[in-house]
Amino acid sequence: MITAQVLFALLIWQLSPGGLIPGPLRVVEALGNLLSGRLLYDSLLTSLILTFKALAYSLVLTLLFSYLSVLPFFRPAAEFIVKCRYLTLTGLIFIFTLLTRDGGALKLSLLVFGIVPFFTTSFLAVILRTPAQELELCQTLGYGRWETLYEVIVIGKADQVFEVVRQNFAIAWMMITMVEGLNMSEGGIGTLLIKYNKYNDLPHVLALQALIFGLGLCFDYGLGQLRRWFFAYTKI
Amino acid sequence: MTPYIKKEVLLQAQGVSLCYGEKCILRDVHFSIRDIVRPGIRQGQVVSLVGRSGMGKTQLFRLVSGLQKPTAGTITLRERKPAEVGGGVIEVWRERPVQAGDMGVIFQNYYQFGWRTVKQSLLLAARRNPALAGKEEEAIREYANRFDIADVLQRYPGQLSGGQQQRVSIIQQLLKGSNFLLLDEPFSGLDICVLEKVTELLLQVSLSDELKTLIIVSHDIATAVAISDTVFILGRDAAGEGSTLVREIDLIERGLAWRSDLREDKVFLDTLKEIKDCL
Repeated sequence: MITAQVLFALLIWQLSPGGLIPGPLRVVEALGNLLSGRLLYDSLLTSLILTFKALAYSLVLTLLFSYLSVLPFFRPAAEFIVKCRYLTLTGLIFIFTLLTRDGGALKLSLLVFGIVPFFTTSFLAVILRTPAQELELCQTLGYGRWETLYEVIVIGKADQVFEVVRQNFAIAWMMITMVEGLNMSEGGIGTLLIKYNKYNDLPHVLALQALIFGLGLCFDYGLGQLRRWFFAYTKI
Repeated sequence: MTPYIKKEVLLQAQGVSLCYGEKCILRDVHFSIRDIVRPGIRQGQVVSLVGRSGMGKTQLFRLVSGLQKPTAGTITLRERKPAEVGGGVIEVWRERPVQAGDMGVIFQNYYQFGWRTVKQSLLLAARRNPALAGKEEEAIREYANRFDIADVLQRYPGQLSGGQQQRVSIIQQLLKGSNFLLLDEPFSGLDICVLEKVTELLLQVSLSDELKTLIIVSHDIATAVAISDTVFILGRDAAGEGSTLVREIDLIERGLAWRSDLREDKVFLDTLKEIKDCL
């Protein structure tokens, strides 16, 4: 049914008077053009490496602050990070430029700064939703505070880390195209997108958008599968 | 009547109250549970706490389990501890306030860690018990066979039936090694066949050790009375706000303890009526 709906939407798109907006056939043609060259693969690789690096750093920072947030001393810091979602990256570019040594580090730090508040918000919500009975079961088994933290939050919520990454991956993926525009020498799909936009090459822009969208869906699916694979109990 | 003696106090509540601000839920609760000794039998204790809904049964359950502190009063447990006397080691009775972890607690919904298999959950508990050091796996196998859950050891709690979850919860708390087992509404929502199995299981647990003490919080008066030796009734009186223990019924004195043929007994039926009248 979904396939039929997608085909119907594409048909309407193709038949509607386009004007400046290219039809799906032209987009497919541009996509073929992109796929036949090396530039797209190099750009994708650059973007993926940057994304995964940023995800790894963000995850470490998120887990650190989230786990520590159960201690009253670290709670304000975690709450401040959550509020940082409302900061725009554009206004911080100059400060980050001063703090980082090159374009690569600038992009990475901006991405991490952008991702961590979203990851932390989601993971703190997971921690706050911890049922009292999980903690009470630990108490009845004679667990101390650290043992309870380890069992209930670190081990018990490990599968949720995957879910948090899955749900917030879109933020990272969305920001990658933005930060890559800041330092175009290293390439990346963001750079490619800006280049095609600059020359108003809409078929290639839309082809790239379709690729980015498709890759995002693949990550979404892949992370979901990984969660089920690593944590068999999530399937129950 | 079967000969028995009530010996040392194992658990005692003195003047226990629980208030939230101006509102008192429990007031001046006193009770004690004594070690019942029967010649030739490892006889544990089974005490039921009954009361109408909203009387604070669960609150008292939480206080006794050490999960919550009373506003006033103390709940103390007495346990045998080895002590050096004159170059030798003898066991002496020591008294101390109840803390979380002292009691084996079985919650109404038999909560288990969803991310641990049954065996992993049981191992976590067994490792807390110094008496089982190095023999944890063996102890788990033994309990699993005795309670008929050997075939579900590798499953997660979400894959178990209600009865299996209950047995896992009980074994987990038994493996932990506590002499006290608190059960919150263990008969709730069970059909008649499962109910019989559960009562049989609890009696089996009570006979596993001389000091094993089951405290059952329930509103199923008939089943609670049928397996208990003592019943505490939580209710209200004219003395003040909040619930308190209005009555203690010694079922041994009435010849109602440790019997399986009670349901049609006149004394049993009269006792049920007496309890209902107190509620």
